[in-house]
Amino acid sequence: MQGIKVWDLLVRVLHWSLLATIVGAWLTRDGGDIRHVQFGYAALAIVAVRFIWGFIGSRHARFVDFVRSPSATFAYLKAVIAHREPRHVGHNPLGGWMILLLLATVAGICLTGWLYTTDAYWGVAWVGELHEALTDLLIVLVALHVIGVVFTSIRQKENLVKAMVTGTKQSTEHATTGGLSNQEPLSNQER
Amino acid sequence: MRNLATTGVALAVLLLCPAAGSATGLATCESGPQSGWQSQDALTKHLLKLGWREVRRMKVDGNCYEVYGMNENNRPTEAYFHPVTLQHIMTTQR
Repeated sequence: MQGIKVWDLLVRVLHWSLLATIVGAWLTRDGGDIRHVQFGYAALAIVAVRFIWGFIGSRHARFVDFVRSPSATFAYLKAVIAHREPRHVGHNPLGGWMILLLLATVAGICLTGWLYTTDAYWGVAWVGELHEALTDLLIVLVALHVIGVVFTSIRQKENLVKAMVTGTKQSTEHATTGGLSNQEPLSNQER
Repeated sequence: MRNLATTGVALAVLLLCPAAGSATGLATCESGPQSGWQSQDALTKHLLKLGWREVRRMKVDGNCYEVYGMNENNRPTEAYFHPVTLQHIMTTQR
């Protein structure tokens, strides 16, 4: 079994530092703690860099590598239920949508939080309520993300958390290499 | 892999739990049942009389009224008031 490079250094650093800023912001959420705002700006910067990296980063960092059509994603879900989903070296289609949802939700939380710091929108109920509702949504998404990672780790018999730390995954002959090629096994199974 | 599953589920549960909480613990008021409280409108009028430019949002936190608005100096202000006496408890300026 040989290791293959999947997640580049920037993807991994951004992943874990985004987690750190989210936990930090959550812990400092009450009482006008200035660090809450700082964690928010840091999270927004991380999301912005990750977004750009999604176009110019290494192979599996790019959106084109993991963002699939709704029908392909649904087909993958059916394959998972039937215990015959193909292995994806990068994100699988469900994981890919989760990445987009997580990034968009964090961006939404940061933007409404920033809006709340302006004089014009300070204390405006809908801004605060949207900020809190998006945060509740993020907590649910993070829980689903972790459940998905654990589930896929067990299914694929590979520690995906470790892979996000080391950047490498085991290489097997079953592996589809991601990119356009990983649509093939899916569409074959659809027929 | 069993360890990973346990950690994952524990993490998910931990993450979901605090979402249910509401009181921040920043301030607490011994204010009795809500039937004895003054209305939010009464506090708004009181604050405007004190010189606040604007009262924008009011919540209940720790049995106090938590108010967001622009104070007498037109500064963004978050402050706590006793719902029975309307006494000022504390201010957290942003």
